[in-house]
Amino acid sequence: MIKLLRLLIAKKSFLFFILLELISLLLIVKTHHYAQVKTNDWQTAISGRIQQKLNVINRHWYLQKHNDSLLKQNARLLKQLNEKQAESGPALPGQFDYIPAYALSNQYHLEHNSIIINKGQKDGVMPESGVISTNGIVGVVQKTSAHFARVISILNKSSKISVALAHTNYTGFLQWPHTGPNNFEITDMPVDAKIKKGDTIITSGLSSIFPKGIPVGSITDFKTVPGRKSYVIEIKSFTDMTNIGPVFVVKNRYKKEIDSLKQNPGHVK
Amino acid sequence: MSNNIKYIILVIIFFILQAVWFNQVLLFGTYAPIIFLYPLLILPVYKNEIQSLFMAFLLGLGLDITNHTGGVFAATAVFVVYIRKFYFLIGKGPTQDLDQIRVSNLGIAQKVAYYFTFIFLSQLLIYGLESFNLKLLISKLGYIFINSVLSLFFFILIDYLFFNTQNK
Repeated sequence: MIKLLRLLIAKKSFLFFILLELISLLLIVKTHHYAQVKTNDWQTAISGRIQQKLNVINRHWYLQKHNDSLLKQNARLLKQLNEKQAESGPALPGQFDYIPAYALSNQYHLEHNSIIINKGQKDGVMPESGVISTNGIVGVVQKTSAHFARVISILNKSSKISVALAHTNYTGFLQWPHTGPNNFEITDMPVDAKIKKGDTIITSGLSSIFPKGIPVGSITDFKTVPGRKSYVIEIKSFTDMTNIGPVFVVKNRYKKEIDSLKQNPGHVK
Repeated sequence: MSNNIKYIILVIIFFILQAVWFNQVLLFGTYAPIIFLYPLLILPVYKNEIQSLFMAFLLGLGLDITNHTGGVFAATAVFVVYIRKFYFLIGKGPTQDLDQIRVSNLGIAQKVAYYFTFIFLSQLLIYGLESFNLKLLISKLGYIFINSVLSLFFFILIDYLFFNTQNK
């Protein structure tokens, strides 16, 4: 403190000069309209630049929050889209809910790959729920714990998902031939279907796991199986299974009812 | 003490001269020389700095009030009084007798250089702060130069008539 005082006393003429200059400049800005306008312009430019830099830092710190908020928004939009599509069937309005989640681990180099996501029973995730990304399907929930869930990836030899040729009712089964993380096969699609390379494959909606219309991939090649009246179609998935990003768990409100009907074809209360 | 009173009286006289006459009369229909700086430039350079700065501020403020220029003259006067010591430091290098530096002891050529430097600088500041526009200031450089020369003429005249010293 004493050193500071000594410094102030030593530099008293300089400090006094600065003080008088500031007072004079203040008087100038207060009385001159043009000077006021110019000063305002400089202030705006300087504070704008500072705010921009601070905003970059802020955006970085709040990135996770923004991501979560966007995911929730996506989930709401997906639901709205489904409800719109439900007007022309086959799903019922409000049948599907979407629970946003992040993949904590993602395997794609084994024959039976799985994914762990950060939502579980407490978040409403149930086994045999579909999991999709913003680009397409990802897998099916196998097991859940309180806060996590294990998902059988579509990169799994045991995975078999009902899909359809877009804008038609021709269906087949999506399987993974283990020829690459984004290459799949569709079997049992009837030869009556008029297909060509580039056509889109979507989920068929025939299972209670995925609603109809979720994009799956596009056709890269196809051939007929000799002796069988079906195609073997090769597709490239829209989802990059090596980089799946945030996902949504598809919750079917009527899943139990539908599964029960499938298992017991008689009258169900 | 008597020196302080002398300077105060000088400041008042030159303030009146500047405010009443030189700001109202245009030489050759265009030029308005500034002479209010004279008493500030002859103040001791390395003595009583606080008093000098305060006097410069008051003088400048008085002119601002009469001219409705906010704080232009005050800012200029304070700046010029403060910056003077660096002129002598740069020009002559560090000397042992800084406290002995007197403007009255300078030769005529040195005085002309000294006066002109600060007259020109103060004119730049006055017009710069008043216009707040660099382009406008640059376009007025010619005018500022001639105005500075005219002001210098009055400085030398006043110096010769009233403050001439026989010995250095």
